[in-house]
This record gives sequence, structure tokens and C-alpha cells, in this order.
Amino acid sequence: MIELKAVSKVFGQKIALDDLHLTINDGQIFGLLGPNGAGKTTLIRILTQILEPSKGIVYFQGAPLNFSDVKAFGYLPEERGLYKEMKVLDHLLFLGRLRGMDYKSAKLSANHWMDKFDVSSWSNKRINTLSKGMAQKVQFMGSLMHNPEIIILDEPLSGFDPLNIQLILDEIKDLKKRGKTVIFSTHNMSSVDDFCDEVAIVNHGTLVIHEKVTSLKEKYRTGDYKLRFKGNQIALANALWTSFELLECRELNQGQFEARIRSRGGQKFNDVFNELSGAIALEAMEEQLPTMQDVFLKLVTNEK
Amino acid sequence: MKNSWFIALRELNERLSNRSFRWMLFIGPLLVLLAVFVLVETSQQGVESMKVLVADPANILDGKITAHPSQQLEYDFYNEYLDHEVFKNDARFNGYDALIEVNHKVLDNKTVRIFYREQPSFNLKTTMRFDLEGRVEEVMLDQFSTMNSNEFRKIKQKLNVRFMDVDDPLNTSEEETAWVGYSLGYLMLFFVGFFGMNITRSINREKTNRISEVLLSSVRPNELMMGKILGNLLSSLLQLIFWIFLIGIGLWAFKEFFFQDYFIPDYLNQTQVDEQQMSSLGMKNTFQENMSLELLYYRINYPFVMLNFGCFFLGTYWVYSSLFTVLGALSGDESDGQQFSLPIWIFIFLGIYAGFYAVSYPNSEWTTFFSYFPWTSGMVAMVKICSGVTTIAYSLLFLAFAVQLFVGTLLVFMAGKVFKQGILSNNHRVSFKLLRSWLRKN
Repeated sequence: MIELKAVSKVFGQKIALDDLHLTINDGQIFGLLGPNGAGKTTLIRILTQILEPSKGIVYFQGAPLNFSDVKAFGYLPEERGLYKEMKVLDHLLFLGRLRGMDYKSAKLSANHWMDKFDVSSWSNKRINTLSKGMAQKVQFMGSLMHNPEIIILDEPLSGFDPLNIQLILDEIKDLKKRGKTVIFSTHNMSSVDDFCDEVAIVNHGTLVIHEKVTSLKEKYRTGDYKLRFKGNQIALANALWTSFELLECRELNQGQFEARIRSRGGQKFNDVFNELSGAIALEAMEEQLPTMQDVFLKLVTNEK
Repeated sequence: MKNSWFIALRELNERLSNRSFRWMLFIGPLLVLLAVFVLVETSQQGVESMKVLVADPANILDGKITAHPSQQLEYDFYNEYLDHEVFKNDARFNGYDALIEVNHKVLDNKTVRIFYREQPSFNLKTTMRFDLEGRVEEVMLDQFSTMNSNEFRKIKQKLNVRFMDVDDPLNTSEEETAWVGYSLGYLMLFFVGFFGMNITRSINREKTNRISEVLLSSVRPNELMMGKILGNLLSSLLQLIFWIFLIGIGLWAFKEFFFQDYFIPDYLNQTQVDEQQMSSLGMKNTFQENMSLELLYYRINYPFVMLNFGCFFLGTYWVYSSLFTVLGALSGDESDGQQFSLPIWIFIFLGIYAGFYAVSYPNSEWTTFFSYFPWTSGMVAMVKICSGVTTIAYSLLFLAFAVQLFVGTLLVFMAGKVFKQGILSNNHRVSFKLLRSWLRKN
């Protein structure tokens, strides 16, 4: 478990982080969100001990974080950096050895990850001969080489094509299954929706919110439902009456429609279904929970 | 420290994988050897033996020129006036390589002209000059004195006035060997400057390609900085060892295969005879004229000098590397790093000048200052060590070495503070304000 207590970071006149309290539990995927310049990277650099907090303290597994803990951390920074003249295998070995691995286990691990990502044929290629996406993969492997407990990924999906995005996302899910903690900083809100357990939104160096994704979505639910039905729009409008607001309706096929409605009285799914099913032939209905994009925008806009 | 070692090895591997670095391992020493070869060879160029016609219309030399004729010179006499144009074109004189024109007023004007068809070697010129001078001296003694030549040469010998250092009464220090020290000091500063710039470049590259953030999440800034300093030290030492080894082999090969003539007993005996003769004339011998050979092969105690060179190389590298590290951390990009290296190069040039000054004025107050000033002390130490030092002076040199280590450590500590702040910053402008603020931060 990582605990930040009253952590502040000041650069000259600029307050990058201000009295931040945050707890990140083990074995979860933790989303760290915030607009550009919010203080996410500063926070990550404090966790990876690249920077020291100006005030406050960071605890790791109950004890103040110290430099010997870096071996428990794997870090993929937002701005990727590799030695362009080095060969892929040599680079992985170098990163592994810096994280405390001996040569033999570093080589075993490097080969394991290269096999896993199906890139063993690159092992003797120089980094400067790889495409951007390939180099990103090498760096991703480098951050996991030493089997860390905490993996901090700053915008891990940027620069990847859809196939590789899926590969990385699957790998992150797999890490969670193996009990690892993944701290995931991103602007890609759909990926947060998919698999983050908890999120923290930081803005202007302060913590705006820290909650489980499910409860956050519950908290910010709008009572929107999407339905597909057969009949006509007038029948739907009559059925909605004063309890619902019709947001959108469009005809899919002859006599088949898709509509989006919003409940005005906080009705539950069953209430909505019961009210509508007598008036129209409902084919499908689902509640539309807010996306993290919606929640993020709402919170950050409210902050402003 | 273990991480510093990994970083150092990576730096070394990067240098080794660089083609120009590998080429320099061989080309550098070859260029030095070529320079030595050219230096020695050019001093020996020219015709090595000659048949000489001495045109002496007044018969002043009386058909004699020397009691110890050289095997390389054969003299014939011609007791009529001979114009050099006639000598050049007349078929009768085709068998002669040179014409010595002894004018009838030679005893007054002390001028003899020698016309050659092909340039004689330096040795041959020297021998002809001494032969003529000796003979003219004998003639003058016959005409103007009752003394014989041996008596005269005893009288003629210059008063040998020697300036002795009270701390070095045996006069073990010598200016010629001091120049060897200067050359070694020059090599030291060249390597330190060249490889020091690599530290700056390497830091800038890491800042530009953003690898520094990955590294700093695994190692402390001080470890990273020490790894860079150590890695560049290893690569410079490797280069230096290669240079020393190859130059050593080259000099041995020169002695065995190219300069053999200068080391065979006959040649040495001959030069000893010449030496006696020339010493009596108050002149240096030919072997002394070819000082470079004697210096290279006989007068330098290489094991002692190289041991000290190693120590002072490390000390000098240590004080300069911290400056190059600060520069790398402070600069916003690679071009900034090169541009602002000028102040460091001024220190290096000061070191080169200090060496020159120490050779010329070994006991001046400025030399004493330069011998303790950490950025110049390595150079001055080499000059002093090569010119021969007493035990006391030697211990003072090690005091200078200790000062280098102390100041270097202090600077590396300060460099660490700047490095820690600067390694994650790029595209900023270098300024003293920035430097001051980074030095103040923890």
C-alpha cells in the first residue's frame, strides 16, 4: 500500500502539488487522471523518488518510502527514452541490472518478455532501427523486467496502434491478476472505464476526487436509458409523459427506433421498464452510466 | 556504486561501438609515431658522403685539412681560383660533389663558402664545418703565435659557468627532459579535455532523448553522475593505454629497424671522437644536435614517469570532469554544452601555458602557484618530474596531487547538486542565476 500524507511540491513560485492525501491499495489498477499541468507527473516522480516532496511524506507498505524501495517499482514515463545506439537485448539487460537483477535472471526475464511480446527476432537490432511503436514495446518490457510489485505507467497507450493497445491492456489486466498494483496515468478515458478499480483526479496540484470507478459512476449517474423498440414515436412520447425527458430518437429500420431518455424522478430500471413496456414493443433497454470522460469533464469544469 | 559501475560500463561500450573511437585507438598513436619519424628523418636527410674539391688559390690550408679524416668525406685541393659557375659546368669537376672556396683573406674575414650539387646531410655539414674551423685555427696559430694547437685549445676553452639550484646542487633537472614532461602534460590535458567534453555531450544526449527519467527511477543522481565520470575515465584510459602501448612498440621498432645507424657502436665511437674534438672547439656534437633521439631513448626514466603520469592524469581528470558534468547538467541542449565549454577550455589552455612557463622559469613564484592550482598542477608536475626532482620537491608534488583530489571531490559534490536539478530540465537557457539556484537546492 502506498500512502501520501500532506504531500506538497513547490518549484520556485509554482505549487505543483498542494497538501495531497492519497492511499493506493495493493492489487488494483489505479487511474491517475487530470488535465495537462495538473501535477500528475510530479506526483509520479515523487512516487518513483526522482523528486522529493517539499513537504509531507510518502509511505510504502507502512514505512516511509526510501531509495531501496525503487526495486519494487516499475516505471514507464510519458516521454519515452532509450539509448538509440544500443541493441534491444543489451538495453533490457542494462535496465534489469540497474533494478538489481543479476545477469542470469535479467537475461531470463528479457527473453521471457521478448517471447511474450513475440519480438525475440529483434534482440540484436539497434533501437534506432525500430519503429516508434516497437521502441515503446521495448520500454514497456523494460519497466516490467524485474517483476516489480508496483507498476507506474504514464500514458502507456500513446504511440501504439489498436492491436498493440489491446496487447498492452491485456498485459495490464494480467498484471492485476498476478496481484500487482498498476498506477495508470492517462488521458484515454475509455481505458479507465474498462479496467481501473479506483481513480484519483488531480487538478491544479490538489486532489479533486478519489473513489472507486463504480461508485463514481453511481454518484454521477444521470438516469439516462437507451432503448430500442418497435412502434411509433408518438406512442413513446405519450408513455414518457412527465416522468421522462426524450433526449434523442432515431429510426433504425421501418418501424424500429432507438431512443435515449432521461428519468426525471430517479426511477429505477424496473420502473422505467414497466412504464414503457405497455406502450411500445421494447426490444432492448439499458441504463447509460456516465463514462469517466463525462465524470472527468464534470469535475474539472466544476473546479474551474 | 554498483549501479555507477553498470552505467560506466555502458558508457564504455557506447564508446567502443563508436567507429571513430576505435579508429582513434590506432590512428592517434600512428600519427604521433609518424611525427617522431619525420622529425628524426628530416634532420638526417641529404647526401651521406661526398668528394670535395677545396679551391685554395693562396694555398692557405697548405693541402691539409684534418688529421682525422672522416670516411664520408674525401678532400682534393686545387690551388687556383675557381668560380662556382665553372665548377658547376666544367666536365673536369664533374666527379666532385662540393666545392669549398677558401678566399685569400680567409684569416681576416673568417668566411668560407661551400657550393654543393646535392644538399649534404646535417652530419656531413657539421663535420665539414668542424674540419675547416680546426684547420684555419691551426694556420692562424702558425702565423700569429708560438703555441701549438693543443695548447691553444686548452686556453681557448670557454669558461664553463653553470647556474646551480641550491635545492638541486647535482643539477639533476634539465630543460630538455622538462620538454618531454611538457609533452606528456599536453597529452594529459588533451585527453582530459577531449573526454571531458564527452561527459557533457552524453548528459545532454540523455536529457534530449529522455532516458534520464528512466535511469533516475532506478539510480540516485549521484550514482548516475559518477557512472558517467567513471565511464568516460575508462574510455579515456583505454585510449591512453593504447596510445602508450603502440607508441612504445613504435619507438622500439624505430630503434631496431629504422634508426639502427644511430645506435651501432661504430657510430657511437665516432660521435665520441667528434665530441672530444668539438668539445675542445667549444661546440656541441652531432649526437647532441639530434637531441630527440637521445631524449627518447636514454634520458627518460619511463616507469617512474608513467607511474606519476597515471596519478596526475587521474587527479586532473577528477577536477575537470566535475566542471564538464556541471556544464552538461546546466545546459539546455547539446549546442549550449559546446558553446559554454569555453571557460573550461580556458583553464585547459592555462594549464598548457603553465607547463611552458614552468619549463622556462622552474623556480618562479608563478610556477609555484601553478604547481598547486588544481587545473594546472598536473601539467606542472609532469614538467618537474621529467626534469628531475629532489625528494622534498617530490613530496610537494604529492601535496599538489592531494589538493587536486580534495578540490575535485568538493567540485564533484557541488556538481551532484546541479546534476540532480538539471538532469530533468532541458530547453532552458544557461545562466548564473540558474546555477546559483540549483546549488542552493537540496
